[in-house]
Amino acid sequence: MKKKGSMSHSDEINENISFFRMLVIYLLICGIGVILLLVSFDSLIRNHDRKLTADICTLVTEKMNNSIRYMTSAAQNMADVFSAQNCDDLQELYDTVSQAQENSSYVSLGFIDAEQKIYATPTELEEFEKWRLLETADLADPISISAPYRSGEIGQPVYTMFAHFTYDNGKKGYLFLTYPLKEIQAMAYTESLTKDTEIWLMEAASDNIIQCAGSNTYSIGSWNNALLSMRMQIDAADQNAYIQWKNKMNSGEKNASVTYHIGSETYTQVYSDIDFMYGWYVVVRIPSSSLSSAIQQFRKSVMLFLSVLLVATVILFILSHKREAEEKRVLENLSIHDPLTSVMNRRAFDFAAEKYLARGAKTEASLLFLDVDYFKQVNDRFGHDAGDRILKEFSAALRELFGETSYISRYGGDEFVILVRSADTVKVSELLTHLQKKAEKIKPCDDPEEYGDFTLTFSCGAAVFPKDGDHLQELKASADSALYLVKKNGRNHFGWYFDMPPVK
Amino acid sequence: MKRILAGLFSIVLCGLTTSCQTHENAQTERSAPDFMPLTEIVDGRDNVYLIVKVLENSSYWDVIIEGARDAGNALGCNVYYSGSYVETDWASHERLLGEASAAGADAIVLAPDDSVNLSGKIDEIYQEGIPLVLIDTIANTDNYDVCYMTDNLMAGQEAAKEMLSLLEKQGTDTSAPAQVGIQVGATSSLTIIERLAGFFQYWSKYAPPSWEVIPDIKCNEGDTEKALVCAEELLEYPDLKGVFGANNGSTVGFAKVIREQERKDIAVVGFDYSEEIAGLIMDDDYTVSTILQKQYDMGYQGVETALSLKDGEEMPVKFIDTGVIVVDQDTIGQEDVQEVLSHN
Repeated sequence: MKKKGSMSHSDEINENISFFRMLVIYLLICGIGVILLLVSFDSLIRNHDRKLTADICTLVTEKMNNSIRYMTSAAQNMADVFSAQNCDDLQELYDTVSQAQENSSYVSLGFIDAEQKIYATPTELEEFEKWRLLETADLADPISISAPYRSGEIGQPVYTMFAHFTYDNGKKGYLFLTYPLKEIQAMAYTESLTKDTEIWLMEAASDNIIQCAGSNTYSIGSWNNALLSMRMQIDAADQNAYIQWKNKMNSGEKNASVTYHIGSETYTQVYSDIDFMYGWYVVVRIPSSSLSSAIQQFRKSVMLFLSVLLVATVILFILSHKREAEEKRVLENLSIHDPLTSVMNRRAFDFAAEKYLARGAKTEASLLFLDVDYFKQVNDRFGHDAGDRILKEFSAALRELFGETSYISRYGGDEFVILVRSADTVKVSELLTHLQKKAEKIKPCDDPEEYGDFTLTFSCGAAVFPKDGDHLQELKASADSALYLVKKNGRNHFGWYFDMPPVK
Repeated sequence: MKRILAGLFSIVLCGLTTSCQTHENAQTERSAPDFMPLTEIVDGRDNVYLIVKVLENSSYWDVIIEGARDAGNALGCNVYYSGSYVETDWASHERLLGEASAAGADAIVLAPDDSVNLSGKIDEIYQEGIPLVLIDTIANTDNYDVCYMTDNLMAGQEAAKEMLSLLEKQGTDTSAPAQVGIQVGATSSLTIIERLAGFFQYWSKYAPPSWEVIPDIKCNEGDTEKALVCAEELLEYPDLKGVFGANNGSTVGFAKVIREQERKDIAVVGFDYSEEIAGLIMDDDYTVSTILQKQYDMGYQGVETALSLKDGEEMPVKFIDTGVIVVDQDTIGQEDVQEVLSHN
């Protein structure tokens, strides 16, 4: 039976291998699916980020441009008011208005007359010369804005706005208003993405930039040069894209965007021209990661969910496989074995024995037909439970003696059939003798007073394959004939078919 | 033999560099010392406290301290001084400001290590009514009386102006291609960046269209050996006619390589005064200018203005550009240039 058992184990191993193969295929398919999902998800996020960052950059530039436009409109309106006054003495006008600057957002206000005389403080006059501000004034159409410079009066970066106005019956002059650069920085402030949005003013000709907003507050308001702080940082592969973007600015295109990488970060950068600040542009840059960080978090959650789902599915598969295997094993046991004695049932025995005997001419086997003597009397005297006990213990003795090399079966009631994979009749006879001794020790109950002189015996008819029969039915018939003769001769004995007297 | 000497020189240089680095590392762990007298201390005189950025091993800051001492001696006040050992140690400055206030300072002259982080403490000192003069670096607050510093943007413009002048002097064809190479010592130094921005601002406006600045701006990261390599690389450009060093190290690098290669066709504009640049200026075969800051004036005027403020005077302006001077073959003999050079 052990051999039979080992044959079943090998089937089980094959079955397990096929199960694990299926599991690996399943995991591979899941893995490929997850990779495809991630690739398409990332690509979607990338495209979405690029579009969104470009849109946000454009919105920020528009916001700044609108704010600057509002300031220039205010300057133009103020110039119109002064023009309407048609003042003939600019010094008097300057003295009056320069005293009334409290609570205004500008730092200073002054005038330039038709002869380019400047009405301003001595410090401002120095700055006009130092920063060649008259050149900017000449660009006014009707407004112009200077490049930022550091004001002596307030010690901060400022810019000056020039607006045309008329005085003294049509003479053309300029009104100028100087604002702290902080005004533009305030315009640049955004509630969201404050830390990630970098905003500069950029002069196309010089590549100079002034930071208006960014994560590093120390650099806000300071000068830099885009060759050093942007172009040299950008990955080599994106240099051409940046240069093309810059060329568009140099050629006067009103706005353009570019996407480039600095290390592992992707940036989208947009510029837009500034009305009246000739040659200057608003540049906004946002790293894609600032937008995708929330989506990345969602991506992580989805990944976690998928991983848990996958692990749960695998565990479910394995548990289901184990349960199925166990159920199969139980069902197989029930269909092969006799439930009382755990030896094979008749159907299973016939199947196994036929299969074994069909192996070929060299196959050796002996078939034993055993019958417990007077079993009915055991049942009658000691009850069915005692009968069952006898059968169980007798089967156990059979397994112990023949289990290594035989198929053992309960054929019905007290009948057992054994196919021994050996034609060595001497050896088989020794085993049967041994069985007789073991049977004698089997008792229907534990109480000696109760079973008294009870001794279990059996009768056995044996036949040898292929000599006594070259197929199972014939072999069984031969063994049965031998058994019949043993029973006829008084039982408690075993006899071989080939020893029987010839039938006349 | 030359190789052996070069090898030995490299080893010595490495040793010195390592020694300097170790020293600097050690310095980063050192907090600023207590205030020390810079002038004779006499009871009854005004007490001015000077706080500098770099207390040791900096000729630039030594000149500022010298200016403050001269002002203290000339104007009859007690000057105490201290400062951080490295420019990033703003916490030491915060502590020193508190100590100066607690010691009853009549006025404070401060070169802030950090424009942002020190603003709160600067506000506090100013609100206590102590006159506060900033030098070298401005702070991100309005609560100070006045700041004396070099307007580096303007200094950069001056450098570009000088470069165009030298190229013209060399007879460079304004209609033919010509290139100018730039080397900087750091990409994060506001001083250097503003000089660079000033240079580009002037250049973009006034340089002939066929002349260009090479977009590949070299950065030597403060390494003297790398400064030489950067200079050598720039000198290989075929149309190179001029080079601009935005700080002392870069200028020294250019001066050494140009002298070694005898590139008399290259105009040099640099910053600060070193033995190497002085050697080129003295040699008529080369076309060279260097731009000097007036840091002595920052120290002197800082103390002088602090005393005036203490006496109730009000400053009409918040920011005073102490300016720069251009030193070249033509100006080196001038009295004002010699005056500035005497402090370098």
